[in-house]
Amino acid sequence: MKNLGGTAGRRLSGTVARCGATLFVLCASAVARLPAQAAPAANPLAIPVPPAGRLVAITNATIMTASHGTIPRGTILIRDGRIAEVGPNVQVPAGAQVIDANGRFVTPGIIDAHSHSAAEAINEGTQSVTAEVRMEDVLRVDGISLYRQLAGGVTSALVLHGSANTIGGQSMTIKLRYGLPAESLLFAGAPPGIKFALGENVRQSNVNLQPGREPRYPRSRMGVDALLRERFTSAREYRGRWQQFRTDSAAWARARTAARRGAAILPEPMPPARDLELDALVEVIEGRRLVHAHSYRSDEINMLLDVARDFGFRVNDFTHVLEGYRVADEMAAAGSGGSTFADMWAYKLEAYDAIPHNAALMAERGVVVSINSDSDERARRLYQEAAKAMHYGGASEEEALRMITLNAARHLGVQDRTGSIDVGKDADLVIFSGHPFAPTSRVDMTLIDGRVFFDRTTAPTLEWLIQQQREQRPRPRVASEGGAR
Amino acid sequence: MKTAARRLGGLAAGISVWRLAMTASGVGLFLAAQPPSRLAAQVGPTQRAAGTYAITNATIVPVVGDRILRGTVVIQNGRIAAVGANVQAPADATVIDAAGLFVYPGLIDSGTQLGLTEIGSVAGGEDQLELGDFNPQDEALSAVNPASELIATVRVNGITTAITAPRGGQVSGQAALIDLFGWTRREMAVVPRAGMVMTYPRTGGGGGFGGGGGGGGAQQTPEQQRERVQREARALREYLSRARAYAEAKARGGQMESNLAMEAMVPVIRGEMPAVFDVETADQIRGVLQLADSFRLRVVLRGATYAWQLADTLAARRVPVIVGPTTSTPAATDPYDMIYANPGVLARAGVTIAFRTNSASDSRNLPYNAALSTAYGLDPDEAIRAMTINPARIWGVADRLGSIEVGKVATLIVTTGDPLDVRTTVRHMFVRGIPAPFNDRHTRMYEAWRARPRN
Repeated sequence: MKNLGGTAGRRLSGTVARCGATLFVLCASAVARLPAQAAPAANPLAIPVPPAGRLVAITNATIMTASHGTIPRGTILIRDGRIAEVGPNVQVPAGAQVIDANGRFVTPGIIDAHSHSAAEAINEGTQSVTAEVRMEDVLRVDGISLYRQLAGGVTSALVLHGSANTIGGQSMTIKLRYGLPAESLLFAGAPPGIKFALGENVRQSNVNLQPGREPRYPRSRMGVDALLRERFTSAREYRGRWQQFRTDSAAWARARTAARRGAAILPEPMPPARDLELDALVEVIEGRRLVHAHSYRSDEINMLLDVARDFGFRVNDFTHVLEGYRVADEMAAAGSGGSTFADMWAYKLEAYDAIPHNAALMAERGVVVSINSDSDERARRLYQEAAKAMHYGGASEEEALRMITLNAARHLGVQDRTGSIDVGKDADLVIFSGHPFAPTSRVDMTLIDGRVFFDRTTAPTLEWLIQQQREQRPRPRVASEGGAR
Repeated sequence: MKTAARRLGGLAAGISVWRLAMTASGVGLFLAAQPPSRLAAQVGPTQRAAGTYAITNATIVPVVGDRILRGTVVIQNGRIAAVGANVQAPADATVIDAAGLFVYPGLIDSGTQLGLTEIGSVAGGEDQLELGDFNPQDEALSAVNPASELIATVRVNGITTAITAPRGGQVSGQAALIDLFGWTRREMAVVPRAGMVMTYPRTGGGGGFGGGGGGGGAQQTPEQQRERVQREARALREYLSRARAYAEAKARGGQMESNLAMEAMVPVIRGEMPAVFDVETADQIRGVLQLADSFRLRVVLRGATYAWQLADTLAARRVPVIVGPTTSTPAATDPYDMIYANPGVLARAGVTIAFRTNSASDSRNLPYNAALSTAYGLDPDEAIRAMTINPARIWGVADRLGSIEVGKVATLIVTTGDPLDVRTTVRHMFVRGIPAPFNDRHTRMYEAWRARPRN
C-alpha cells in the first residue's frame, strides 16, 4: 500500500497501489523516478490520447469544480480521459481503477496563461516585428521544469515568445505531458495565438547596448504605436491583394471557359508574393489568431485597444497588464481579458504603479482575469498566487480558483476542453493534500487526460533522497565535518 | 581590499554627518564592541511615549508558551504590560475587541534590501551595491530611506521588522535590524549593526545572488572557477587575519593609525557581531565553519539551500541558518522540493532557522515563503517561530522582540487567522506600542481607482 499522504500520514486504500501499477506505468516509473533524464526519443506508449475504454474514479474527494461550486464529498468518474460523471452520488463501475482521495481536495488542472517553458529560445530580437517565427519550431521537452510544474499542479500552458519585440511571434499551447515526445505536448485543437508586447522591453529602455550595436527602432511608445499601424496597414493591403487575386483568378477561369468558345484569353493572374509575417497578421485581422499582449501601463493598453479597433481585431488578453485596474472598463468593453501577476511590482518603472488588488479589481469591473507565472518558479505555486486575489481586493474563493483554471482556459481559447470539473471536459485534475489555498497544502497528484503525470508517493523528494543516502552510507561523524575545531 | 583602502584614504576625513551625530549622542564607534542588543537599547524608541491599549478577547499566540484563549494584551509606554486570560484592561486604555482574532508577535524578515532600493531597473533608486570586494565599514542603516514606498506595503502582511543589508563583494557591509515604521532611521533602528554580511566563494553561477567577489562564474571553465574560489577564499582568510591582527594590536593598546574598515571588523573578530555568510553548497558551509574555527567567529549562514546535507553538524555546532527565499528553483539534478523542504530538515535536526525573502518589494511574502515549507515538512509552529523568536535570538534582541511576553517591546499584530495563510488579514499592527497604519501606495491607488466612475 502506498502512502499518498507522505508526512501527513494519511493513507489511500490499496486500490492506489493497483493504480500505481497500471494506470501510470509510464508516468510513475519512467518519469517520476527519473525526472532528470531526457525524455525517451521513441516510446510506444507515447500517445497523447489514452486508450479507449479506460475507467478511472477519484472518490472521497472535496471537489472544487471552478464552474459550479464545491462538492464536499464526491466522485469524479473518468472515461477515455474525459470527465464522464461528477457528483456526490456517482456509482463507480466495476473494473474502474479507483484513486481514493480520502478527503483530499481536487481542483481542475492549473493553467498558466503566460509561460516560457518547453522552449529553446523565445526572442528573435533582430527586428521588432517577427510575426512569422513560431514557438512550435523550438519546442523542447527534456527540461526538468515541466516535471516540477506538474508537481505544482500545472497541466496546460500558453508558451509565448519574449517581450523583446512589438510582435514577437506565434505562440503554442501545450499540455504538460512530460516524458512523451515533443509532438505529444501540443494541445491539439487549441486556437493559434501571437505575442504582442508594449512598453519598456520593446523600447529596450533597460537594455545596455553593447558598444558598436545600433539601437533598434522603435525606442518610444509612440514608435510602437506607429510600427503596429504600419505593419497592420501592410497586412490589410496584403490581404487586399490576395482578395483581388482570388477575384481575378475566378474571373480568369471564367474567361478561359469562355475562350474555349473562341473569346480572347487574358494572361493568367499572378499571385502576390507570399509573406509569412503578414500571413500571421492577416489571421489576426480575420480573428483566426488570438492576440496576447504584454503590457504594463494604462496608456499603452488603451493605445493597443485603439489599434485593434481601427484594424478590426480583438485583443484576446493583455498579459502582465499591471495597470489594468485603471482601464478595466475599456478592456471589458472591448472583450479583452487580463492575465496578471498576483503581486509583483517595483522591478522597473512601468511596474511601480502595480497594485496587488489588480486581479480582483479588474474582475470586479467585468474583465475575465487569470493569474499567470511568466516563470518556471512561480508556475510551481500558482495556487498560492491565486489566493492572493482573495487577500487583496476580496475575490471569492471560486473566482480566485478560476483565475488559474477556467479563466486561464478562456485566455488560451480552450475553455470547452479544460479548466473546470465538468462532464465532457478533459480529465486534467490536481489532487491537493488539503484546501489548495491552505498554507500546509501541497500537490499530491496531477492528472492529464485521466493519466497520472505526477505522483508524490513515487516522486524523488528530498525526504526520499535523504533516506537513500542514509541507507547507502553511514552518516559522517559530526566531528569530521568542518575541519579542525 | 585595495579599493576599500583607497576609498577610505579619501574618506577618512569624510566620516558621515550621521556617524558624528551618533557619536555625539553616545552611540559612536567605540560602542560597536558591545553586544548588539545593548547597543540597540540605547538607540531604542526616541519618539514620544505611546498610549495605553488593551487588545481583548483574543486568541494570543505568544510563540513561547501555550496559546491563550479569550485573552487580553495590555500595551503601555511602548511595552507589553500584561498578557493573560484574566487580565483587566486599564481604565485609560483604548480597547480593541479582538473577538475571533489572533495576536502574534510582529514578523521579522531576516534578509531584505528594504530602504536601499526603490525601483529595480532605475539606477538612481538602487543603493545596495558598493564598489570593491571588502566594505565592512558600510552600514546599511546610513542609507535606509524611511520614506520608501515599499516599506509600508510590507507591513500589510504582518512584517514589522527586517534585516536590511548591502550586498555584493566578499564583505558587503553591515546589516541593520529595523522596524518597518518610523519617521527617521534612528526611530526605525532596532540593531544598527546587526551583522557583517559576507559571501563565501563558490564554483558555478558566479557566486549566486549578491555577487560573490570575482563573479563571472558562468563564463569560466571549471579550472578557472576553482582558481577563483581558491583566490577568493584566500583573500577572505587574509582579510580576517588582518582584522585579527588589528584587533589584537588595539587590545594591546598599540599606537596605530585608525582604519575604519578594520575598526568595523573588530566586533566580528571578537565574536560580538555575527558573521553572516551567504552560502549555498555544503562545500561553502564547510569553508565557513573552518573560518569560524580559525577566527572564532559567531557565524550565521544565509541561503544555504544545501544545508540539509550538514543538518546534524550545524545543529551540534549551534550555527543558525537564515533560510529562503523558498520561492526559488533547485538545480536540475536536485529533488523538486529541495528548497521547500530544506528548512524542515534543518529544524527537525535541531538547527535554529529563520526565514528571509532576500528582497524588498517581495518582503511582504515572508509568511508565504514559510508556508511553502510547512507544506513540505516544516512544523507550522516552528515556521512561526522562524519569523519571530528565532530571528530575535539570532539578532540578539530576544529580550525585547519575538514573543508576546510581559516587558517586551509591544511590536505585535492582530490577525484574522494564521499569518501563514494567504487568506488571513492583518487587522492591527503595533510597532513599539504605536499603532502602525495600513495606508500605503497600493491601498491608496486601489481606493482611488476603485472609485473611478463606471463608463
